[in-house]
Amino acid sequence: MIQRHAFPLQELQPDAPREVQLLSFIGQIFLQPFSLEDNLLALLTALTAGSGVGFNRAMLFLVEGRTLRGRWWLGPPTPEEACTIWEVLSTPGIGFVEIVDYNRALLERREGGLSHRVERLSYNLDEGRDTIPSLSARRREILHVRDADCEPLVDEGFRDVIGVREFLCIPLVSRDDVVGEIVVDNAFTGAPIEAPDIRLACLCGLIAGNYIYTSLLTKKMMDMEKLAALGEAGVFLLHQLRNPLTVIGGFADQLLDVKLSESKKRRNLTIIRKEIKRLERVIGKIGRLTRLNSGPVVSLDPKSMIEELLALPAIKVKGRGRHIRFECPPDLPDALGHRLDAAEAVRNVLDNALEAATWGGEVVIRCAGGPDRTVVISIADNGPGIAPGMRERLFEPFATSKKNGMGLGLAFVKRVMDIAGGRVEVESREGRGTEVRLMFRAGGKE
Amino acid sequence: MKTKPRILIVEDERSLCLLYREELEKEGYQVTTVLDAASALQALNTEPFDLIISDIRLPGANGLEFIRSVMERRKNVPVIINTAYESYMQDFSTWAADEYVVKSGSLDELKKKIRVLLEKSHVAA
Repeated sequence: MIQRHAFPLQELQPDAPREVQLLSFIGQIFLQPFSLEDNLLALLTALTAGSGVGFNRAMLFLVEGRTLRGRWWLGPPTPEEACTIWEVLSTPGIGFVEIVDYNRALLERREGGLSHRVERLSYNLDEGRDTIPSLSARRREILHVRDADCEPLVDEGFRDVIGVREFLCIPLVSRDDVVGEIVVDNAFTGAPIEAPDIRLACLCGLIAGNYIYTSLLTKKMMDMEKLAALGEAGVFLLHQLRNPLTVIGGFADQLLDVKLSESKKRRNLTIIRKEIKRLERVIGKIGRLTRLNSGPVVSLDPKSMIEELLALPAIKVKGRGRHIRFECPPDLPDALGHRLDAAEAVRNVLDNALEAATWGGEVVIRCAGGPDRTVVISIADNGPGIAPGMRERLFEPFATSKKNGMGLGLAFVKRVMDIAGGRVEVESREGRGTEVRLMFRAGGKE
Repeated sequence: MKTKPRILIVEDERSLCLLYREELEKEGYQVTTVLDAASALQALNTEPFDLIISDIRLPGANGLEFIRSVMERRKNVPVIINTAYESYMQDFSTWAADEYVVKSGSLDELKKKIRVLLEKSHVAA
């Protein structure tokens, strides 16, 4: 027999042990679609909320380079406010959205807020003389200070800010490094920090350390990927823009020569105009990719869409010398998509097929019902096929094997299909040809 | 009579071929333009050149392969790579081309480098 349980836990169980409550809370925080900052603040809430560890205040330091820098300090500034806040946070049914909103409001509050005080604190982790926060981070040890007034390792600046005698420093450690530190105290209740509190705080420190580490690593990787993509796109765009600009600049310079004949002046102006149009085409194509219709999808009749495309003079010119075959069953359902974008996507694929088929080649357009209530428009050519190196990059903007192509056609097709809730498939064999299948969701008449 | 230095330009954009030819002829060079690597190799087999200017991306062949085969055939002929891609510049030394000029609206840099390279090989316009 199999028992099924809902996942994730939605409600904290008030009678569950504190460790379970805390793990449940933290586990659910990380499932929320909030930023790293919001999630860390929520983690500080876990340390200070009644249902969590239950400290009064929690201070967070993050490591930047080799400096441990104070970032946020969560907790009420006065004992009166403490009562109100704990009451609010203990309200049954309070969710993560409310906690995040509440934390943000607390951070924005300058007057009486705590965070602006902790922002002043920073400690160099390479320094020879250690003070309590840097020592904890450097040694990767939890330090429990019972009497700050008598402890020479507590520097005056820190003592002034924290204003209590007893506190706990928890380094946030990941596998390779220390990424920050949390300092907690019981400023309002004055309750002593006991061994079970320390064990729970350790757990929070371990989880927070690894969470920060993996989040920063993920962000770094994403940035690197974005940068690489941007770099490739930039190189390609430079080429697309630099060639026409060289022609324009060169022929414009010649126009400055007073001895240039009238006929050459006219010729140069014609060339310059042609190159400006080429630049406009480049910019227009990029713009087209970013201005896709995001309105509602409509029912489109694939048969009439293809027939209209085949009737276009530009397609007729491109199709010269190629055998174009169009097959469409009479009882085909409509396809769901954006009228202009869908037609342009099909046209892009058709253009490619006609180019690939070359003189004497064949292009077959087939409309048919596909699996999972889809309508498939398939366009196949018997051209040379797509080179293996290009297949993985087909839908990437600016990836092209054509000398004068921009590599935006299939990127556009993919975006159109994604937005319409459909998909695109490509099958290609070198020397045998390529088939592109646009799979629209079916709708309307059947 | 002094013969004009002969320059071969390999460039697949017709407008650029026209521009380069006119501008370099004004400087006193004898210019031949071709649109692809195959025609360039053919030209090299039939005519002597004092300098070659070539784009990197050429139809029908990789521009780099073309430059390598030119080097093998004409070891003493200086080559200028003229391209819109700045990024290839990092590989410049490995190709053993003599100069690398990024395409620009002004041809001053290209003209200057042609002059310097021809002077080095004792050919002047």
